[in-house]
Amino acid sequence: MKHAWMLAAALAAALAAGCGTKKGFEVPGQAFGCPIGEQKIASMDDLVKAKVLMEGSRTTVLPTEMRCSRSGDLLRIDANLNNDSRSVKRISYKFRWIDREGMRAWEEETWKPLMLYDNSNLMVNTVAPTNKAADFRLILRSQE
Amino acid sequence: MNRFHKLALLAAVAALAGCAQPVTRYGDSKGVETVTNEFGSTDLQSIAESMARSMQTSPVIISGNLPIVTVQEVRNKTSEYIDTRAITDSIRSELQKGGKVRFAVDSSAMKQQTGEIDRQQSGYYAREQSVERGQMVGAQYRMEGNITSIVKQVRDTKDVYYKFNLQLWNIRNGLLEWSDEKEIRKTTTRG
Repeated sequence: MKHAWMLAAALAAALAAGCGTKKGFEVPGQAFGCPIGEQKIASMDDLVKAKVLMEGSRTTVLPTEMRCSRSGDLLRIDANLNNDSRSVKRISYKFRWIDREGMRAWEEETWKPLMLYDNSNLMVNTVAPTNKAADFRLILRSQE
Repeated sequence: MNRFHKLALLAAVAALAGCAQPVTRYGDSKGVETVTNEFGSTDLQSIAESMARSMQTSPVIISGNLPIVTVQEVRNKTSEYIDTRAITDSIRSELQKGGKVRFAVDSSAMKQQTGEIDRQQSGYYAREQSVERGQMVGAQYRMEGNITSIVKQVRDTKDVYYKFNLQLWNIRNGLLEWSDEKEIRKTTTRG
């Protein structure tokens, strides 16, 4: 009987742990595979807020989802940009690469123009230019 | 308006036109350039960046121990003049800075390379400090590509589509180890 109780308790604990594990939060200092350092990131919205910057004219186009992974020793990023307006939006974007000390790991990238149809999503993906890049920012601006 | 007034007005316009001097400002070399829809700096930079990043993630570069690459020609199959050497130079710079690839001297720089070796072997230099013939390292891979375009024009609209294709060939066995493409579309509408 005692064994049965212990087995049941272990099963319940395992189930609770399984349900409690959110995908992307397995590794400390990472959220959805993206480096977050000491920041408190509890959701995808938090991650987007932490990683996306606007420079120049602001745009309503924003990432709805960002995921990071590794390709060899290089950081790989996928960002799903969403245009929820009823008109075509033209934006430009670039990534800014940051090293472990918080310094720039790479020179400023070129602005890349992008067109998003109305009510549509577009996935932009990139890979870090160097293995010194430990973190990143996605920078967006309107080209309208 | 009498004759005197007309003359005064003309003189004022001429004086103003004379004062309107051209203004020169520095711009953002990485900014989106849309002056015309011909091949421009934004196209060159985004192609180079995209190709270099893609090549860095290819299995042959990831698994290779600093593979040695030589740059060959990117053929310009478009109807406009494009300095394709500028594109491959940018790709090479980005890859070199990334530290995953080494580059061997290419055919366009071979004359300068062998010329310098010959000069050092000419007898004018200290023998122990001069480079010897037969020490150059051959490339394992060669990089070549094409750029093509499709241009369509009606009365007020001009549409240009560019396709840049880059390939990495294994010199020893002739296998294509990596290839990628970058497409660009630009449309100009008058009025």
